[in-house]
Amino acid sequence: MPSAIPTKRDKITKFTNCRLVKGDELIEQDLWVSSGTGKIVRSQEVFYSEHAVPDATIDLGGRIISPGLIDVQLNGAFGFDFSVIPEDPTTYNKTLKLVNRSLVQTGVTSYLPTLTSQRAEVYHHALPYLGPSGGMRIAEDGAESLGAHCEGPFLSPTKNGIHKVEVLTEATKFSDLEDCYGACNINPTEDALNGAKKRPQIRMITAAPEVAGMCSLIPEITSRDIIFSTGHSEATYEDACAAVKAGGTMITHLFNAMRPLHHRNPGVFGVLGIAESLPRPYFGVIADGIHLHPTTIKIAFNAHPDGFILVTDAMHLVGLSDGTYEWTNGDNIVKSGPRLTLEGSDKIAGSSITLIECVTNFLNWSGATVPQALKAVTATPAAMLGMTGVKGSLEDDADADLVIINERVEADGTKTLVIDEVWKFGSKVFDRLQ
Amino acid sequence: MRLIIRDDPASAASYIAKYIIDRINAFAPTSEHPFVLGLPTGSSPIGIYKILVEKYKAGEISFENVVTFNMDEYIGIPREHPESYHTFMYKHFFSHVNVHPSNINILNGNAPDLEAECVAYERKIKSVGGIDLFLGGIGPDGHIAFNEPGSSLASRTRVKTLAYDTIIANSRFFGNDLDKVPKMALTVGVQTVLEAREVVIIITGAHKALALQRCIEGGVNHMWTLSSLQLHPHPMIVVDEDATLELQVKTVKYFKSIEKVAASQGFEQILPSAARTGPRHSTAHSDAAHMAARTKPQQPSLQTKALSELQTQSSLPEPNSPSILSPKPTTNMLLNAPATEYPVRSHTPELVMDNMSSRIPEFREGDVPFDRLEGRGLAASQVGA
Repeated sequence: MPSAIPTKRDKITKFTNCRLVKGDELIEQDLWVSSGTGKIVRSQEVFYSEHAVPDATIDLGGRIISPGLIDVQLNGAFGFDFSVIPEDPTTYNKTLKLVNRSLVQTGVTSYLPTLTSQRAEVYHHALPYLGPSGGMRIAEDGAESLGAHCEGPFLSPTKNGIHKVEVLTEATKFSDLEDCYGACNINPTEDALNGAKKRPQIRMITAAPEVAGMCSLIPEITSRDIIFSTGHSEATYEDACAAVKAGGTMITHLFNAMRPLHHRNPGVFGVLGIAESLPRPYFGVIADGIHLHPTTIKIAFNAHPDGFILVTDAMHLVGLSDGTYEWTNGDNIVKSGPRLTLEGSDKIAGSSITLIECVTNFLNWSGATVPQALKAVTATPAAMLGMTGVKGSLEDDADADLVIINERVEADGTKTLVIDEVWKFGSKVFDRLQ
Repeated sequence: MRLIIRDDPASAASYIAKYIIDRINAFAPTSEHPFVLGLPTGSSPIGIYKILVEKYKAGEISFENVVTFNMDEYIGIPREHPESYHTFMYKHFFSHVNVHPSNINILNGNAPDLEAECVAYERKIKSVGGIDLFLGGIGPDGHIAFNEPGSSLASRTRVKTLAYDTIIANSRFFGNDLDKVPKMALTVGVQTVLEAREVVIIITGAHKALALQRCIEGGVNHMWTLSSLQLHPHPMIVVDEDATLELQVKTVKYFKSIEKVAASQGFEQILPSAARTGPRHSTAHSDAAHMAARTKPQQPSLQTKALSELQTQSSLPEPNSPSILSPKPTTNMLLNAPATEYPVRSHTPELVMDNMSSRIPEFREGDVPFDRLEGRGLAASQVGA
C-alpha cells in the first residue's frame, strides 16, 4: 500500500477523546487532519480505500475542538493599526506578517483586516497587502486574511462614531468607490501567471445605505463577491429594508452607531424581524461589556441566532498599557483598562478585547451553550462570507484550522474558555503549555 | 450448545466482550498467525463493540494481529453512506481500535461483479485459515447475517434479496422512505458462518424471544436460519432474561445449572485446546498447500487418524468452485467441515458390519444337519420344474 505512506509534508494527525463543535452541539468524535492538504481528512474513506492510518494520535482528554475563530472586524493588534501607513511604507507588509503570526496565538485563524474611514491614499497603499493571504496554505504564516473589510468612508456623518467626519464622503456611482478604494482593489483581477480569476482585495464594505446613492450601488458591490454591510447609519426601518432587498447581507456592530430600536420605527434592528418577508441579514455584535449591555446582546441573539456573529472591533492597543495613544487623522485614543475612548470625548473607540474573551462573555451572559457561542465566531461568520464548509467547519474537506479549548468552570458557575492549542492548515502553530 | 443467560443486555454484551478478549489473548495472535474474527452489525452488538473499544484503550487487548470479516453489506449505497455497514463498523469499532485497515474485510456492495466479489470473499476467508470466532446477532425472525427465512442452510456468500419485513424495518434509517432502502445485500451464507471454528451469538430483548425459542428448542429449520447452529460443534448463544421469555422453564434452568456446575468445578465451558489456539500454520502458504495441511493434523493421534481417514472416504472433495455455482449436500458438509482440525469430543466409532455367514459355526458331524439355503432354493426350483 504505497499510497498510505505519507510524505514528509503529509502528516495525518488524529485527535481522539475530544468533543467537536458541530452545529449547535458538541459531538464526541475523532478528527483527522492532514498537514499536506491542510484539510480535514475524510477519515473513513482514506481508511478503507487507502488503508491510511494516522501518523500521530493525540488524546485530548475530553477537551473541545472548535474550528479556528474568525474575526470579521479587527482594526489592528499588537501595536499595529491596519489603517496607519508607517513612515517607512515598506515596513507595512513586514509588520503585517508579524501581526498575523501573533494573532493566530489568540485563536483567530482567519479574519478580515478592517480599515476605518481614511483618505483614498491610505486605501491605495494598504489594500494591496490586506487581500486574501491564505492561497499558499502555509501554516507558519499564522492568521489568514480572508480579504479586507472597509468600514467607511461612505458613512453617515451623524453616526460617525470615532471616524473622522472630515474624511467621510458620498458615492453616487460605482466609480466613486473605485476612486476611493482603488479600482484594482475592488474589482476581481486576473492572476498574472495563469490568468485565473482572483477575488478582489476587499471582502466587505460597511456603509450607510441612506447616504447619497449607496443603496443603488449595493448590487454592483455584491456582484463582485463583496459583502455589503449596513453600519454607521441613520437608516430608518424602511432604508434598512431597502438595503437588505438590494442585497445587503450584514449589519456592522448592531446597535452601535445606528438609530436605536424604537417601537414606532425599529430602525436597522427591525430587519431581524423577517421584515417584509426579506431574508434576515447576519449581524456583528461586540460583547466586550462596554459597547452593549449583556441583555441587549441576548435580545439580539434570540432574535436571530443563526445570524449572530461576535466581533471584537479591536484596536491595535490590545495588550498595551494604559495611556494616550496617537491615532489616525490627528486624533488620540485614551486607553484605561479595557476601555478605549477618543480623547476629548466619551465616544467609545473600538475595543481591546480578544475574540475568545467575547465568546466567554457571551457564554456567561446569555446562557447559550458552548457550541452555540463558538458558532458565533466560526460557522456563522463563515456562512456570512459564503465560506460554509471551507472555514469555520469541522466537516470533511474543510480547512483544518482548529483551536483546542479547555472549558473551565468556576465555583460560581461562570465558565472560561481557554485556548490550549491552535492549528492552522493541519499543523500546530501554538501550544499554551509550551 | 452453550446458552449463557445474563440479567440484562449490558451484562450479556460484557460477557461476550470479555469472552472475545480472553479468546484473542489466549490465542496469542502474531502477524503470521492472526486471529480471524467474524463481525456483525446491528443494535445488539453495539454494546459489545463499546466494551471492546474501552478495553483496547485500557490496554487489555490489542487488535494488531486480528483479521476481521464482516457478515454483510448493502448493495448500491455508497460506502460512505451513513447507513452503510462500512460506516457502522468505522463509527463503532474500527476508528477506535488498532485493527489495521488492510486486515479488514467487508463485502463491497458496489463491486462491478457482485458474484465475483462473493467468490473472492469466500476465498479470502479460506486463505487466512478460516474464521476462528464468528460473532453474530439475529433478527426477530431468527435470521443470521442476511440469511432470511427460507435461506438455504448450505448457502455461502452471495447476493440476497431482502425480505419485505426487513426493508420496512430498515426504512427507519432511511428517512422512512421505502424507496431509499436498499433492496439487496451481500451476505455470508449460513454455511460460511457454520464453518467458523466457533460461533458466538448475542440475542437480547423480548422481541427476539420467539426466535431464540425456535432456534434452541425447535428443530433445524430453514425458516429460522439460526437453528442451523445446532449442527455446529462449538456454538455459544448469550442472551438476556427478556430473550428467554418463550423458552421452557426447564430449558432455562438446565442451561443455567450447567453454567453453575461448570463454574463450581473451576472451569468454564471451554473449547478443546486446538480450537482455542487455532491451527498453527503459515499464511504464506498457498491455498492448496494450506488445505492439504488442514486435512492432515500435524500430530495425529490414533483416533484422529482413523477419523480423518473415515472422513476422507465419506466426504466429498473440497470444491474448487464456489458453492453458489456447485452446491453441496448440507448435512454432510455441516457435520464434517470443522471436525478435520481437532478431535470431536464424543466420538462413537462407526459400526462395521461383519458378514452374516461368519457367525454360523462350523458344521460338525453328529449335529442336526442344516441344509444350506441355496440347497433349498434348488429343491424348490426342481419342484417347480
